[in-house]
Amino acid sequence: MITQPPRALTYQGIPVWRHAQIIQWAAQIVSATVAVALVLWLFANIGNAIQEREIPYGFSFLSREYQTPIGEHFIPYESSDTFLYAFTVAVTNTVVVSVIGVILATLLGIFIGVARLSTNWIVAKLAMVYIDFFRNVPLLVQLLFWFYIMLALPPPREGYVIGGQLYVNNAGISLPWASATGLAPALVWTLLAVAAVVAGALIHRRLTRREIRTGQASYPLLAGCAAALLIGVVSWLVVSAATGEAPFLASSPEPQGRFGRLTGGYTVRAGLLVLLIGLVMYTASFIAEIVRAGIQSVGRGQIEAARALGLSQLNTLRQVTFPQALRVIIPPLISQCLNLTKNSSLGAVVGYTDLTNVAITMTQTAPAVSIFILIMVAYLAISLTWSLVGNLYNWRIGTSSR
Amino acid sequence: MAVNLEYTPAEPLPPPRSEIGAIGWARANLFSAWYNGVLTVVAALVSILVLWFGLKWVFIAADWTVVVELGGRFILGQYNTEAACPGQNCFWRPQVSLLLVTALLGMAWGTSGNPMARTIALLVGGVAAALAFLPYRLETMGLDVRLLLLANLPALAAGWALARYTSLITLGRVVMLGVAVFVITLALLRGLPGVPGLMPVSVIHWGGLMLNLLLAVAGITLSLPIGIGLALGRRSRLPVLKILCVVFIEVFRGVPLITLLFMSKVLVPLAFPDNFPQEPLFLAGVVITLFSAAYMAENIRGGLQALHPGQAEAARALGLPGWQTTLLISLPQAIRNVIPAIVGQFIALFKDTSLVYIIAMQDLVNIGKVFIQGNTEYLDHARELFIFVAVVFWIFTYGMSWVSDRIERNLGVGER
Repeated sequence: MITQPPRALTYQGIPVWRHAQIIQWAAQIVSATVAVALVLWLFANIGNAIQEREIPYGFSFLSREYQTPIGEHFIPYESSDTFLYAFTVAVTNTVVVSVIGVILATLLGIFIGVARLSTNWIVAKLAMVYIDFFRNVPLLVQLLFWFYIMLALPPPREGYVIGGQLYVNNAGISLPWASATGLAPALVWTLLAVAAVVAGALIHRRLTRREIRTGQASYPLLAGCAAALLIGVVSWLVVSAATGEAPFLASSPEPQGRFGRLTGGYTVRAGLLVLLIGLVMYTASFIAEIVRAGIQSVGRGQIEAARALGLSQLNTLRQVTFPQALRVIIPPLISQCLNLTKNSSLGAVVGYTDLTNVAITMTQTAPAVSIFILIMVAYLAISLTWSLVGNLYNWRIGTSSR
Repeated sequence: MAVNLEYTPAEPLPPPRSEIGAIGWARANLFSAWYNGVLTVVAALVSILVLWFGLKWVFIAADWTVVVELGGRFILGQYNTEAACPGQNCFWRPQVSLLLVTALLGMAWGTSGNPMARTIALLVGGVAAALAFLPYRLETMGLDVRLLLLANLPALAAGWALARYTSLITLGRVVMLGVAVFVITLALLRGLPGVPGLMPVSVIHWGGLMLNLLLAVAGITLSLPIGIGLALGRRSRLPVLKILCVVFIEVFRGVPLITLLFMSKVLVPLAFPDNFPQEPLFLAGVVITLFSAAYMAENIRGGLQALHPGQAEAARALGLPGWQTTLLISLPQAIRNVIPAIVGQFIALFKDTSLVYIIAMQDLVNIGKVFIQGNTEYLDHARELFIFVAVVFWIFTYGMSWVSDRIERNLGVGER
């Protein structure tokens, strides 16, 4: 006699609503559909709005003349240039401020971070006060503070002159600078100078290796610097002899005219100066904390061993602690570099024509949607470059020290 | 002959005078080497000079009239002006919500008995009450305003007593009441059409510290859950979900907040239908929250990655389903490990609320900026103004990092 097994005992498979894979796939399909639908809906709305209100769209404006002055520019710019070129000028402005800012902030941050860990009580406390204050006050407030300090300085005609060379006034700081006599000789000598530095560095490295291998004193630093200096001077003389005049001449700022406008030398304008001071002091306080955490992450034994080997405190820090701390320091340092770059968008507050500032002005005469896409691409490109540089460095020190 | 060979050690000598007390401390911490001595002298000279000139400037040279002039506008912005609520007095609305907040803080202190909650509650109540004694003339700051400020102390006491001597208030109810107080605050400030005395006040007129605090509170409470969701999505095995989260996080992290705020003002009216709320306050809140959530997600992801996989495996082995493993095992540990980073993000969010100037909102900073631009006779005293604003911000942000330190110590982070 064949009996049916009771229904409850037959295995009927996992019910659909509890089947993990089915649920996961359903969730994915639903979320993808919702996301795509949302984006399509938004774009359809924008499209409708554009048609209804007859707003210009697309990227054809890029070849039009921008016809608006840009206050600060490091590459030649005139109002008759195109939107595309004006945008490039704005991007270079942001890049310049972020590169200078990152270098200065890193140096100041390392200095303060090390001071924070100093065995000297008063130095450590001073560093702590600096960090606690500058880290906890919005950058905008700091920038406005420096901006009005700068504004309160006397105008160029009555400005301060330090040593007859350095002019400080509410237009900025003017200092003696080198001015090129001609493009070709200046370029040739600059290239040769770079080559000299590279050669010096190579000699330094070779001699250091020899010193380590043989134990013979080889004076790598002295030899490297001497070689670089020698090549630089000789090439200067050669270039001067070939063209009849020196590739660079010293130029000092000179007051001109009724308002004492300064010509010659190099003027760091108020906008750039204030933005740099604000960004550097703010970011340095964050970098100082990163450096402190990095140094503290190095085991005590390492420092004790270095001291036991007879290394001085400075050498312990330079040769033992810091190289190991770098591995911890670099990743958050990269993100601080990105933050500094993004924070430079506050340039508008202090009158510096950075990327965001120019782009916001552009929205008055160009389609906002296109401008927004351009801004995103530009910032993304700058951020990716920073990440790439940082990660390359991280990879190099990571592989060489392990 | 018995010789007592037992050894009785002499009383140990005290350490030399130069190693203990103030001299010993100075030798160890200030003059441990010649260069340290030089550093100490230089640093001491610098700090004495800075303190001397700084204090001289603060108390003698500085002219704080600009701060006095702005006075209540620092706290409320244009809220209580004739333009904001014509024909009636609106000062009591923010003050009533402040009373609710102090009462709530009192309850939190009463239920938990936590010394940290006590400090915060007493500080907020005390400062609010102390504001009642500001030396303004009665025409500028009326008796009613002062009395409502003073009422913060009884409110605090009432909240504390209610929690301490009745069993009505539990910690869960305090949280629920907190949400309720936030909603009531918004309703009170916004006003209800048709209700006498509660005339609607446009959000354009909201400003001052009130605006910064509102945006910060909303942003903090919302950005944490959104950030957790994004972090989990980014670590998910489902490719579609993962890509969506990555794109969201990277877009918001890649662009400066000020650009996002400005573009929200330009693009939202185009991208959303007209009946979508487009008030600047709402947009600012949403953009700041999403921006902060993207950073929060990365912090939490860091915490999740640092977790040993054995934790999740053990939970699965015990039979916990996936969502319980995440909610009960992985997330609590991950969040505990990244508390400093999360609080750092909260502080950054609070500081970022100052960026709403780009969409013409009058927060604590922008009030000052606009005032200076409109009253050029105060141009030379902008320094005083912004130092004051900086100190106000500093008090809040430093308070937040102090709380984070205490929480971390209570949870024993880094000790296990």
